[in-house]
Amino acid sequence: MIKNHAKIKNNMLNILVIISIVLIVATLLVMAANKSPIKAYQAFLFGIFGTLNGFVEIFVKSTPLIFAGLGIAVAFKSGFFNIGAEGQLYMGAIGAAATSIFLTGVPGPLRLILSIIVAFVFGGLWALIPGILKVKFNISEIITTIMFNYIAINITALVVRGVLKEPGEYLPQSPMIEKAARLPELLPPTRLHAGFLIALLMVFFMWFIMHKTTIGYELHVVGLNKNAAKCTGISVMKNIIISAFLSGGLAGLAGMGEVLGIQFRLLDGISGGNGYTAILVALLGFNHPIGVLVSAIGFAALQVGSNTMQRQLGIPASIILIILGLVVLLILAKDMFFKERKITINTVKEGGE
Amino acid sequence: MAFLKMEGVSKFFPGVIANKNVSLEVDQGEILALLGENGAGKTTLMNILYGLYSADEGEIYINDKKVFFSSPRKAIKAGIGMVHQHFMLVQTLTVLQNIILGLKPKGYPFIDYKKITNQIKLLSNKYGLAIDVYKRISELSVGEQQRVEILKSLYREAKLLIFDEPTAVLTPQETDEFFDILQKLKEEGHAIIIITHRMSEIMQVSDRVTILRDGKNVVSLKTNETNPHELSLYMIGRELKDDTTKNDVKTKGELLLSIKNVTLKEKSETKLNHINLNIHRGEIIGIAGVDGNGQNELANIIAGIRKCDDGEIVFSGESINKRTVLERFNRGIAYVPDDRHKDGLVMDLDVSHNLMMRSYKKEPFSKHLVLNRQSIIKMADNAIKTYSIKTPNTTTDVKLLSGGNQQKVILARELYENPELIVVSQPTRGLDIGATENVRMLLSEMRNSNKSVLLISADLEEVLILSDQIAVMFGGQIVGIMNNDENLDMQKLGALMGGHLDQPSDVQEQGILMGSHLKEVSKQG
Repeated sequence: MIKNHAKIKNNMLNILVIISIVLIVATLLVMAANKSPIKAYQAFLFGIFGTLNGFVEIFVKSTPLIFAGLGIAVAFKSGFFNIGAEGQLYMGAIGAAATSIFLTGVPGPLRLILSIIVAFVFGGLWALIPGILKVKFNISEIITTIMFNYIAINITALVVRGVLKEPGEYLPQSPMIEKAARLPELLPPTRLHAGFLIALLMVFFMWFIMHKTTIGYELHVVGLNKNAAKCTGISVMKNIIISAFLSGGLAGLAGMGEVLGIQFRLLDGISGGNGYTAILVALLGFNHPIGVLVSAIGFAALQVGSNTMQRQLGIPASIILIILGLVVLLILAKDMFFKERKITINTVKEGGE
Repeated sequence: MAFLKMEGVSKFFPGVIANKNVSLEVDQGEILALLGENGAGKTTLMNILYGLYSADEGEIYINDKKVFFSSPRKAIKAGIGMVHQHFMLVQTLTVLQNIILGLKPKGYPFIDYKKITNQIKLLSNKYGLAIDVYKRISELSVGEQQRVEILKSLYREAKLLIFDEPTAVLTPQETDEFFDILQKLKEEGHAIIIITHRMSEIMQVSDRVTILRDGKNVVSLKTNETNPHELSLYMIGRELKDDTTKNDVKTKGELLLSIKNVTLKEKSETKLNHINLNIHRGEIIGIAGVDGNGQNELANIIAGIRKCDDGEIVFSGESINKRTVLERFNRGIAYVPDDRHKDGLVMDLDVSHNLMMRSYKKEPFSKHLVLNRQSIIKMADNAIKTYSIKTPNTTTDVKLLSGGNQQKVILARELYENPELIVVSQPTRGLDIGATENVRMLLSEMRNSNKSVLLISADLEEVLILSDQIAVMFGGQIVGIMNNDENLDMQKLGALMGGHLDQPSDVQEQGILMGSHLKEVSKQG
């Protein structure tokens, strides 16, 4: 939990190296697309800092990444490898949409709060099933959570063509949610909505839970050494269940934000892979809530910048996917590097015997 | 002209001098004991010789020819064989497959197994290493596995054999057999280095002793010109205290823990078979036995980590069968697991977070789920002082501490709430003499303050030094309980540990031999 200065310094150095490598590769890619790298970077930076709308869009895009990233981080911390944020996000979206569409009798703001809670519970329950399968039957959560993604995505496809379909319309989508039950806009005409504030709140909340409470302590212990937890009477089962529910719930909030803050309706394919990107967000953020916040905003900025690059110069925004892949690769490689050094330290300690 | 000569070897790790200007030599037909505390640099030195590390300074000569090993493969080729403390065998393969593992015998990939089998049989006859080459390693006893390791080296034509703590996991009988093998190897002209810190063994088998302390050569002596007392002085550089005395009060306290007819099955394998054991206040019960005969399972069912299938456990007059680990701890049962790294500590957490593992739910460490960091740090600081844990501060990761200090962290944690009973498993495994002394003193103190200790140890010396009563475990059963006093029948104890429940006559003879030398050991303390 507590890092020393040398480690942080080392981390900084690593990040600098990674950034340089990424810049070089990005330049080569732009040149491969037969465009001028300088113009590309200009467009990229203009996209991020050039207009208020563009700048604010970073926070809009970062909102689901923060929610889902926090969820994955808490799961990873406790050794529950939740790859299913995408599915949990969809379930949250269904929960939020259904609540705000069906409960028309409930006044707007109250309905909004209910929607948020239902989204959390839906997402949480969706992760709880793999959690229970893991602790009761020792079934790998990596497999089940991935499979649950497909199920959730297709349940969404089903309901937007079924019970939640907008009456009399052709498109597979739910009806619009009335304004009173939406997340309030923060800075019109930009798309920034109150979901971002809730996300910030959750960053603080999760930081507090993970670092200041016995719950977080138990989750850490279980994540780092299940045997030691068992031997000292910390329940591995209970903590994996807690972390699965928390994790899925947070991912569910990501879906809620998209429904109540951006689209104002449930759509087929509403996430577009945010649940997967969030895995990278969590990894890059060292599974620390503050780290997740920073890396989510970083990822969002990359997306916004590259979208502008595409619009202005016709450079395919898919370049950003290559870059993201590269970033993850480098981060993992860095971890390997770290591990190797750890081993040498250990051999020094034990080698003296 | 010595077969092997190491001259002025130094090895530096960042911040640590593992070896400094170490020299040693060993001749063919000679057994050299390498003696030193943990951390004295024995293993590093041998790893250099075996090509796992490269020396920063100094030279190695074999038959007066300077050599340099960049990998174990090269060391093996030069005739060096090493038998590690933890055997390097593949459990699911047969003896034969393990012996030729990594080699490309003639005709590879079409291997003439018959020929190889004959070669191995020749070797095993020559050195008295009886073994069925078609058995899987997992079916073999520890002693037999060691023989496989030796055969492996001999098959690779090793002329120098290095043994790292070879007797640590053997029964007394197996130890005697091993010494016979050593003699044969010596007679056949092999050079042998044996790493150990058991004085009695050194006196018994070695020709010369080289002592390391703090990574440096202290002295090299001829075994028949020295004595255990002198050796231990050289090894630790000071006199040993003798604080661990047995309980003089012969009256037992009240019954604290009673294990009644307990059985534990796992995957249709009976791990514990109708165990009955009583522990009274003010006594240390030692469980003797070779590793893996149900000792761990016994500790687990007392601590509550595993639940027994049958029988009852009564603690302070209350049946605790259904109680969780935490509930048992709160009633006064503490537990020190045998594997510090795996079960005892969270290596990636710091000292304070490891110290709080048992008590974090209680005030003042937390209230309404919120941790009180200040009082935790205060508790940790106190524990560091009370148990003299050597750590830079409370926020140092435990993985950076030495084994002895890690063990102190566990003990500090388990003793924090003044338990009535502490179950300790291999409490001094891998600790140096100073730390061992420390831990044993803590256990004696527990007993002297009318608490109870269940001591599980594969180290018979330790059981003999500390226990009031000794229970022997074999095959998941308690096969005998005896008082540890002057009437203790050592031959019976040894026979029981080896599973010879009916004591055939040849075992008795062996037992007498072994018994006499162990008696001596227990007196030396």
